[in-house]
Amino acid sequence: MAAAIAATEAGLKPLVIDENAAAGGQIYRRSPPALRGDRRSPRSSPNGAKAALLQRFDSHRDRVELLTGTTAWAVFPPRRLAVTDGTSSKTIEPEHLVLATGAYEYLPPFPGWTLPGVMTPGGAQAMVKTMHVRPGRRAVVAGTGPFLLVVAEQLRRAGMEVAGVVELAGTHEAIVALPGLLQHPTLLWEGMRLLYRLRRAGIPVHRGQVLIEARGNGEVQEAVVAPCDNAGQPDRSRARTLAVDTICAGYGFVPRTALAQLAGCKLRFEEALGGWVPEVNSDLQTSVPGVWVAGDGGGVAGAVVAELQGTLVGLAVAHDQGALTQAAFRSRREPIVRRLRRMEHFRDVLDRLHRIRPGLVDLASAETVACRCEEVTRSEIEIGIAAGATDLRTLKVMTRLGMGPCQGNMCWPATSRLLAARTGKPVEAVGPSGVRPPIVPLCLGALCPTGPGQPEEDSP
Amino acid sequence: VSASPDVIVVGGGVIGCAVAFELARRSVRVMLLDKSLPGRATSASAGGLWPVGEAVGLGCGVIYHASRKEVDPSDAANAVGPTPLPDVFRDFLIASNALFAPLAGELKEQTGIDIEFAPGAGLLFLVFDERERCFAESVCRSLPPGLRLDYLSPHEVRQVEPRLTGKLLGAALLTGEHQVNPMLLAEAFKRAAVKHGCVFRPDTRTTALRRSGDRVVGVEVGQQFYSCGTVVNAAGSWAGRLAATIGLELPVEPVRGQIVLTETLPKILNACLSSASCYLAQKAHGEVLIGSTTEHAGFDVSVTPEAIGALCRGAVQAVPMLRHVRIKRTWAGLRPGTPDELPILGAVKGVSGYFNAAGGFRTGVVASPLTGRVVAQVVCGEQPCVNVVPFSQDRFAASNGSAITPHSSTPAGAAVSEP
Repeated sequence: MAAAIAATEAGLKPLVIDENAAAGGQIYRRSPPALRGDRRSPRSSPNGAKAALLQRFDSHRDRVELLTGTTAWAVFPPRRLAVTDGTSSKTIEPEHLVLATGAYEYLPPFPGWTLPGVMTPGGAQAMVKTMHVRPGRRAVVAGTGPFLLVVAEQLRRAGMEVAGVVELAGTHEAIVALPGLLQHPTLLWEGMRLLYRLRRAGIPVHRGQVLIEARGNGEVQEAVVAPCDNAGQPDRSRARTLAVDTICAGYGFVPRTALAQLAGCKLRFEEALGGWVPEVNSDLQTSVPGVWVAGDGGGVAGAVVAELQGTLVGLAVAHDQGALTQAAFRSRREPIVRRLRRMEHFRDVLDRLHRIRPGLVDLASAETVACRCEEVTRSEIEIGIAAGATDLRTLKVMTRLGMGPCQGNMCWPATSRLLAARTGKPVEAVGPSGVRPPIVPLCLGALCPTGPGQPEEDSP
Repeated sequence: VSASPDVIVVGGGVIGCAVAFELARRSVRVMLLDKSLPGRATSASAGGLWPVGEAVGLGCGVIYHASRKEVDPSDAANAVGPTPLPDVFRDFLIASNALFAPLAGELKEQTGIDIEFAPGAGLLFLVFDERERCFAESVCRSLPPGLRLDYLSPHEVRQVEPRLTGKLLGAALLTGEHQVNPMLLAEAFKRAAVKHGCVFRPDTRTTALRRSGDRVVGVEVGQQFYSCGTVVNAAGSWAGRLAATIGLELPVEPVRGQIVLTETLPKILNACLSSASCYLAQKAHGEVLIGSTTEHAGFDVSVTPEAIGALCRGAVQAVPMLRHVRIKRTWAGLRPGTPDELPILGAVKGVSGYFNAAGGFRTGVVASPLTGRVVAQVVCGEQPCVNVVPFSQDRFAASNGSAITPHSSTPAGAAVSEP
């Protein structure tokens, strides 16, 4: 939205494509029209400050072409975008393609993680925020990062009992990080306010602890939590159980780079940004001219950075198109770059505090399913690695890991860390998972137009 | 580090692995060098074991022909399909195909890998119009005694394959034409080779061959040199580039094939299907593989929306229920194509210590067991179990003298350039 606003204000008429029914993405997600204004259903409060972007976008609507309910299923190099509305498909070839694809949650496998009742914090958030449904009665929110606090508070507001927040990073580390976080007092204040609210509601935040297992008969009944060291290694002798029916678990985010990969953009590995990210120049143009990336899809850094980056890309595209003079571009670019730079140190400290720790690799037991699409267990992967399948391709052939519909999106971030640990290579040497179109489910029929001039078929 | 190997096999696709396996079981000290490059044909093959079908032009042949027909409409009046490949190659494929049943058991025993050799109803060529019927009937007539292609009525076709469209005029059935999982086949050959003492080096890109006079003495991997007595070139679509590093003119060109793979489905197909626009094979895990284009696009392994769309339309035309099925992924592979569509095997006149196992084109998988065997036999100086002379590289050199150019000692570091 920010990129479209900036481009529009410079006089361009951008086309915005969104897979949801309305623009807004994950952060400013809107309910389906049928659910709006239903005051009886549980909901979190609308955030006034954040609603500003939505309002600005809406006020530019007449100058933006908006395609909602439309999903990009491929980019054919360099910039030919294929989109589908579910029943048909078409390609669009813009002069500039801005990828603002966001991120998905990182969840390394742990015993019981496939039980109904285990979900990611983002999944739970979407349920209460968008669909106005409580995922259960009593939840624990576990993993790492400030997002856990946000979701715990939203669940509480939605009327759920929250048994606690389980945070991988220890208290001592959090205190050491505090001065660095003062770089961005507003965000720190927001975090403090969240903590205060949780505390007032009697929701404990267990720091330096890790969720090691979900238990239950057919659905979640208990969460097993243990204290851990700085490497994330749990002390199983001190494990205890929490009686819950909902477990929200997430360890930060992984950038969605599939479209950038299909466009042929070069990637680099940056642990602090969530893993593999497209290489970009100072205006966020990728290695493929005319392909730009803004927001978490280019490296996880949160909503504030995403909006600034979106504005920057919108201006840069407008400048490239000749809609902004060099001087106008510079003067508008400067304050954004300054704000982005100020965020950098804050992000560094936060990313370090909430880093992915090596102990997470060993949460899974032999029977734990590692690849949910193809139901490949941890022990099958270990056997494959031991037999010499030490690269992605061979491991896929041998175990079918990543051969399912998600193409390894879900399992590869965790499996690549396992492979790195077992082979002694750095994670970046193991490589990103490959991407092949379509990146979202697409029926054959969407590519087979019917009607006059088309060959007739039988009714199925 | 052990002493240098007797034989280095360059290329860990299905052909290179098969050759390494056959050499290793003959107690030859063999090293297999592999660098998995985008587009390797083994990873994009349907795994169809259609020896007669491919020899008479069903499968990719007929699709290729149909695509050329669009360019030259005057050609269309006469035939739908291509001319059949020579009998000597058809017989080679039939002999190779016959090795699969025992091989599947042997590889399973030695490596634990199931190559998913799946005998089904056969290969069914779908006939939608009169021209296709003429083609199918001419193929029937061209087969020698002992090989059968049954022409089925629409009613009979639906009995074999109930999900097929009712709009067929009929179909030609080649029984005994099955499928396998090509990637597992290659992996099993490789593991079995290693079990017999083969040294496997993954992630190792052979940049050049090295020769001394008329003798090939080893291979270069960047700055490293691997010395050996004999080199087998099994570098797939890259074999021509590799041969060029010692001045050999090996006419192998990548022929791109785009494919579509559906989501996992319950068993819906009993046979492998082939039509003028695509072929379909349901794999062991339930996905339906829809192939394949035949394009000269260099080493470009992109897929194109046009080609994917055409394959999907062809598949839906044949099996209408697929309209509602999801595509899991699409990708492209590079067949190692040769001018006469035949492989290039064995020794080359005027150069020693060098053997080809190249040009597998669209039959590399079905040809791999016998290719591995005969190449190992000629490397070991044994009498090959089938005549390989028709597949010699020298067939291309007949008109312009020696295959090897006189003053082509390779400068150090002359690399096979990046695709």
